[in-house]
Amino acid sequence: MDDLDYSAVGMPVRHELRAAHRLIFEHVRAPGNWWTGVQRVAIAAEARRATSCPLCRARKEGLSPSAVSGEHVDTGALPPNVVDVVHRIRTDPGRLSHAWFEGVVAAGLDAPHYVELVAVVTLVTGVDFFCRSLGLASFPLPDPLPGTPSCHLPASARPGTAWVPMIAPEDATGPEADMYPPAPFIPNIVRALSLVPDAVRTLWRSSDAHYLPVAEIGNPAARPAALDRMQTELIAARVSALNECFY
Amino acid sequence: MNGEAISDVGVAHAAELLAFTEAVMRGDDAWVARTRAALRAVLSPEAYVAVAAIIAAFNVVDRVADATGIPLDPMLLGMSADVRDELQLERFASSANTRETP
Repeated sequence: MDDLDYSAVGMPVRHELRAAHRLIFEHVRAPGNWWTGVQRVAIAAEARRATSCPLCRARKEGLSPSAVSGEHVDTGALPPNVVDVVHRIRTDPGRLSHAWFEGVVAAGLDAPHYVELVAVVTLVTGVDFFCRSLGLASFPLPDPLPGTPSCHLPASARPGTAWVPMIAPEDATGPEADMYPPAPFIPNIVRALSLVPDAVRTLWRSSDAHYLPVAEIGNPAARPAALDRMQTELIAARVSALNECFY
Repeated sequence: MNGEAISDVGVAHAAELLAFTEAVMRGDDAWVARTRAALRAVLSPEAYVAVAAIIAAFNVVDRVADATGIPLDPMLLGMSADVRDELQLERFASSANTRETP
């Protein structure tokens, strides 16, 4: 994979962020548990396509997403039900519902495939927002790697309080022993993707670089580089309010 | 925070931070450029890049949370009650993920 080009920023981008972006792109291009590298890169491309989709724009402005019908403008690489899921997560995550998720599963996208798709869409979305913030064009998506999905389904994932099964920290053993970061408390946001362990590993390593290590989040004195904690939380809260994210 | 007028919130460069964040999230390129210039005038290069990183990070975790239906952790629920009331966060559809938790 070619190096990501930050030269247009005109100032240094610290090593930890560069490494995190590279990690994300290496993660996306590789075959996963359930999707091939080709499919995963296609999902990432579809997430980008969603930002200019007229149906998504109309739904976002509508009183309810289900009140607006039509067809997505998409890349043509994925089935329609997958396209809809990708577009919804990318453009209107705040109005996703349990009923919607149940419909997604009923339409043929099982929870493991869904969780892996969520990971790809969200991680690439983050990198894209980083670029947009700094005035960079989005990095070209990487070429996919060959290979077949592992089909690894963690034995310790259990249905619980979320829409998808998750692995409790005390059950993260065997192949999942290193999945969670070293921290006294593992919040649900870190557990959310645990049906796909490599997604968890990529997510918290990325979060460490962009925000704070999980173990430090509860420490009011901890702060990311160059900003104070109040500034950090102000930005975070505003982003989440605009995304209409209760969590 | 909820779109109301920004007064002194006791955070350094709050107005510039919020304006830039909103522009990146909602605005066109010209709006982003204007607010970026205002932000760069008051922040170091390192801090400006850190702002971008925070915006990126929370666009990830917000989507992970809302796409998986995770409830707010019980410990965090207790700690955040006042803030949630103040900001009227229950109005967000995703609050249902926490209300449904026994």
